[in-house]
Amino acid sequence: MSLSILFVQILTGLAYGMLYFMIAAGLTIILGVMNVVNLAHGTFFLIGAYVAYTLVSKHLGFWLALILSVGVTAILGLVIERLLIHRVYGKELEQVLLTFGLTFMLSDAAKWIWGTDIQTIPVPRVLDFSISVGSVDFPAYRLFIVAVGGALAVILWLLENRTRIGAIIRAGVDDRAMVTALGINVGAVFTGVFAFGAALAGLGGVLGGPLIGVYTGLDGDILVTSLIVVTVGGLGSWKGPFVGALLIGLMDTLGKVWFPSFSMLVIFLLMVVILLIRPRGLFGREVAP
Amino acid sequence: MKKTLLSAIVLVAVTAALPWVLGDYGVNLATEVYIMAILAMSLGLLMGYAGLVSLGHAAFFGIGAYTVALLGPAIPSTIVLIGLSMVLAGIIAWVTGMIFIRTSRFYFLMITVAFGQLIFALIWQLKSWTGGADGHKVSAPLDFGFGEMGSPLALYAVMAVAMVIVYVFLRVFVNSPAGRIVQGVMDNENRMTALGYNVRFYKVLAYTVAGAIAGLAGSLYAYFNLFVSPELTGWMFSGQVMMMVIIGGVGTLMGPAVGAALFIILQNFISSYTERWPIILGALLVTLVLVGRGGIVHWVGLARTKIFVRQKEASLQKSSSGHLYGK
Repeated sequence: MSLSILFVQILTGLAYGMLYFMIAAGLTIILGVMNVVNLAHGTFFLIGAYVAYTLVSKHLGFWLALILSVGVTAILGLVIERLLIHRVYGKELEQVLLTFGLTFMLSDAAKWIWGTDIQTIPVPRVLDFSISVGSVDFPAYRLFIVAVGGALAVILWLLENRTRIGAIIRAGVDDRAMVTALGINVGAVFTGVFAFGAALAGLGGVLGGPLIGVYTGLDGDILVTSLIVVTVGGLGSWKGPFVGALLIGLMDTLGKVWFPSFSMLVIFLLMVVILLIRPRGLFGREVAP
Repeated sequence: MKKTLLSAIVLVAVTAALPWVLGDYGVNLATEVYIMAILAMSLGLLMGYAGLVSLGHAAFFGIGAYTVALLGPAIPSTIVLIGLSMVLAGIIAWVTGMIFIRTSRFYFLMITVAFGQLIFALIWQLKSWTGGADGHKVSAPLDFGFGEMGSPLALYAVMAVAMVIVYVFLRVFVNSPAGRIVQGVMDNENRMTALGYNVRFYKVLAYTVAGAIAGLAGSLYAYFNLFVSPELTGWMFSGQVMMMVIIGGVGTLMGPAVGAALFIILQNFISSYTERWPIILGALLVTLVLVGRGGIVHWVGLARTKIFVRQKEASLQKSSSGHLYGK
């Protein structure tokens, strides 16, 4: 393998890694703040991607479609939290079942509405060109994903550490009763966090659409990938899912090149090795039970 | 022991009587129910007795099913083949269990999902061997030494016997000293550690037993369905098995079996009316989670307390609140 091909592979891995980070960030914040295992997370990704696909094919343009579909997933998350999720706080098993039931329903509904064929969201026109790296071309869109992922990581970090809402959330994780006593409506904060997490998945869906396509069963693939990212990186901070996502993105891409039949095995073995050394993931601290 | 014997006798009587009541369709459906009941009971052992919530249990089912599908042409003996399925699933459960059990609850759930998807992806990707997404035909004959058992009634009998054996085995297991320790670990891990028990060993033991029994269910399914596909190992199927366990009730052995029956019957009933059965089943599940705490077996228990108030109030209270629900 020539050096420029290796470089392109690493760039591709980085792009996938950043995409995984966008998705895993939503899962992390819901799991870390609310202690909710959200198995419907991949479904938000799927719905975001499908809505964007429909809007783009209605000639609304990629960017407007992006904003609208992220809005749709945020509202969907909001409604689901208000109607259902807030009834099962603190009940791990019921959360698993409830979100699994939702996945069951929503992915079948998606199959009903959009069919079972693979759909692709076209790359937005501004980004539809390639950059030559040595002797090979690299699509600009992937660089764009890397940039968005990096920017998101910075924004999330600033939100958590430099804003009042971030302080409330951090305090809410450690001592919910105290935050409530301070007159802060923790319920509303949780609703917001859930909607925000869903929106992040939706964003991943729209931006990932041109990269991986949209198809039946994608929700499961995405859920599993983000679960692995969170498991490898560890819960409790943004550093975990960020490093985990980049690691998984790189290993996945390189694994597909070197061991095409066993790329899943590569990721899984990486996860097992990391968990053997650090049972809570690379940067994990124990979340409140 | 007496109770185990009694429930076994009731089970045998019911399963033996059913074919006279059910038509051909019903017998076929009941056969599938028995296989799923075995699978659900094995997950019920994990969730209800060891406190291990796995969302990748179908992986072991798939391992059993593919063992029969792939090795069937090479190994003619049914007993050997089923035994091999169980041993293989058990060994894989033992090895992976030792790694998985080191993690805490959230991580355990996530890592079991990943494991299930790994098996799914391997079957999918090793196309030349497993048939990949197209699935694989099962050509092994079901033969326990007195002729091939291909008729629906013979299949029914085999699966019914298997279910009764598994039920009795699991009952004996949970009442054995090892089973008691497993439950003790679920109740209070620190106490059991302080008492000097090797907590990890007993968790892995429960995981291994559950894996082997899921492998048995998978191998029986291969003989029943004569066709296997990667979906048998996926997380969606694992989730469905978990649905069966919860619908029936966590913390009992009969509960998951009842849940499996209800799930399979509902699925068949709804899908005969509409292709969109996942939406309806999903909605039913969501409703059940919101209104029906504790599953059917616990409702029966609750009804019993309402009628015979004084009867063992304490013990029922303990089982109906459940360790997995709330804090």
